[in-house]
Amino acid sequence: MKRIVVLGSLVWIIVISTLHAHLNLGMGLNSFMPGAEKGPEKFRVGFLPVTCHLTCPVTHYINESMTGEGQLEPVRFNGWPELKEAYLAGYTPATFILAPMAIKLREEGVPIKIVYLGHRDGTAMMVHKDSQIYRIEDLKGKKVAVPNRYSNQRLLVYKALQERGMSLDDITLLEMPPPDMPAALYARAVDAVTSGEPFMAQTELDGYGRILYLTKDVWPNFISCVLAVDERVIETRRDEVQRLVDGIAKSGKWLDDTMDHRMQAADFVSQHYYNQHPRLLRHVLSKPPDRVKYTNLTVRRAEFEEIEALGKADGLLKGTVDFDDYCDTSFVPDDAAVPAHDWEAPQ
Amino acid sequence: MSVAPVASDAGATTGAPELLDAPEPARRGRRRLDLVRFRRRVGLPVMVMALSIAAWDVAVRISGSDMFPRPVEVLRGVIELAERGVLFKYIIASLFRVTWGFALAVMVGVPLGLLLGWFRRLYLAFNPMIQILRPISPIAWIPLAILWFGVSDAAPVFLIFLASVFPITVSAMAAVQNIQPVYVRAARNFGLSRAQLFRRIVFPATLPQIITGIRIALGVAWLVVVAAEMIAVNSGLGYLIIDARNAGKRYDLVVAGMVMIGLIGLALDILVRRLERFDEVRWGYAR
Repeated sequence: MKRIVVLGSLVWIIVISTLHAHLNLGMGLNSFMPGAEKGPEKFRVGFLPVTCHLTCPVTHYINESMTGEGQLEPVRFNGWPELKEAYLAGYTPATFILAPMAIKLREEGVPIKIVYLGHRDGTAMMVHKDSQIYRIEDLKGKKVAVPNRYSNQRLLVYKALQERGMSLDDITLLEMPPPDMPAALYARAVDAVTSGEPFMAQTELDGYGRILYLTKDVWPNFISCVLAVDERVIETRRDEVQRLVDGIAKSGKWLDDTMDHRMQAADFVSQHYYNQHPRLLRHVLSKPPDRVKYTNLTVRRAEFEEIEALGKADGLLKGTVDFDDYCDTSFVPDDAAVPAHDWEAPQ
Repeated sequence: MSVAPVASDAGATTGAPELLDAPEPARRGRRRLDLVRFRRRVGLPVMVMALSIAAWDVAVRISGSDMFPRPVEVLRGVIELAERGVLFKYIIASLFRVTWGFALAVMVGVPLGLLLGWFRRLYLAFNPMIQILRPISPIAWIPLAILWFGVSDAAPVFLIFLASVFPITVSAMAAVQNIQPVYVRAARNFGLSRAQLFRRIVFPATLPQIITGIRIALGVAWLVVVAAEMIAVNSGLGYLIIDARNAGKRYDLVVAGMVMIGLIGLALDILVRRLERFDEVRWGYAR
């Protein structure tokens, strides 16, 4: 009897492990044989399924279809804490990350350098369509969800309130992963939500969300996410980092080249990376076209000093590091010179 | 293995063999008994489930919610997943992680529990530590798991291991401490060596309780699979739920994932319950 149980367990472990390796890890039996081919080490880049990080999957898709494979391996997360932890663990040597979070990590001694911006604009604040909130002043006493305390969305709220003689004490701020925001607004668990697209547009398309403001109305050329790379990796694998940043910069140019490119990207990114309905991304990338932008993404001192100052005023940042500590502008000193990818999605 | 299936049923007081040669009315009576039992064991739960599903459907219709899915939409979601080929893949991935986490927990937990139960000093030394670690939810370990293991399969396996190792250790420990001293004394009188004592008395006497612990632990291991797969693995039933949240209004897939987790959990429990039917295990219950 004992033998049956032990044998049964062993057979089960072997069968389930083989199936898992074959189905989910993409390993055929061949990859266990000696001499199996191993490509060069890939560059893992962390990202979330938001438009702020769109250039990450776009670069991967274009690389794969142009050359068969690229050096970039996108790793999708669902929330900021996990994404940050994977970076700290060294699992993702490069990652898309919230700008204030990157600065905060630098203040805490983490070797992180911002090398490029992820996007401009691309954030909205949504309220329930039946709510009585029509102006920013109406947020007084309401519950507002932001993606993370170290998000520029929070600073945006701070800035908007400050300009109207209010403060964060006038509202209740909650932290919530962006994918959970639409349902929270639908159920009216919160009064307003703000995060990167397409989760804001989703509330609009599903008919229960109304735009209170788009970033371009409150903070033109708003930056929320940046591409950051481990400083030690920049020292040891500089050429690879350069190729990575070049690829991402070219993807931004490609996205802003024509509306057709944006629609192509909406389709292949929805299908292969975000697992969302393509109409969401199509909506966000076109209505209006400047809802989110992927050009003019060079890292600039003045803009980061503004973020730093706001962060300090809000009490999020200590101000112990400055632009030169947490930014490296040498990879793309001026993105006007960057060409777009010469590529079209196969029909 | 010699225990006939009917013998495990509390209601089976009549032996099957005589009935085979029994006259026609007795056989008919037996058949009726089978039917009654079948109705009770399968009919009742199926009826409760059908009623619950109907109540669910009615509740969604009454509330008019277009977010919360109706049962038929969930079924369609399951079919869609199966057609896309991901359902089987994700089930395998989750089972893989639970298998390894749980197997490691058994391999560590059983010997550790037996040792701690047998040696009083070890127990005094380690028990407080175990009791401190035991109530910490695996979700609390997620940040550390990512720091230690990245987002590979090792991180969820580790979380499942953590969740299941403590129930197993504690049940093995308590099982040894609960052995009737008279067994041990008698064995010593017969001059059994330590190894013999362990193999012939301690292990069989503790097995039923250990199996109960294992059963509870398997339930817990399967319970934490969703939390464990919240880490950026890209497969598994837990991942399916997280991924469906990304996908906008796909709460049908969220519930489909929940239903699959429940059904597989049921299957696993039935499987482990079968272990309790073996002779060796039943011996421990003998009075």
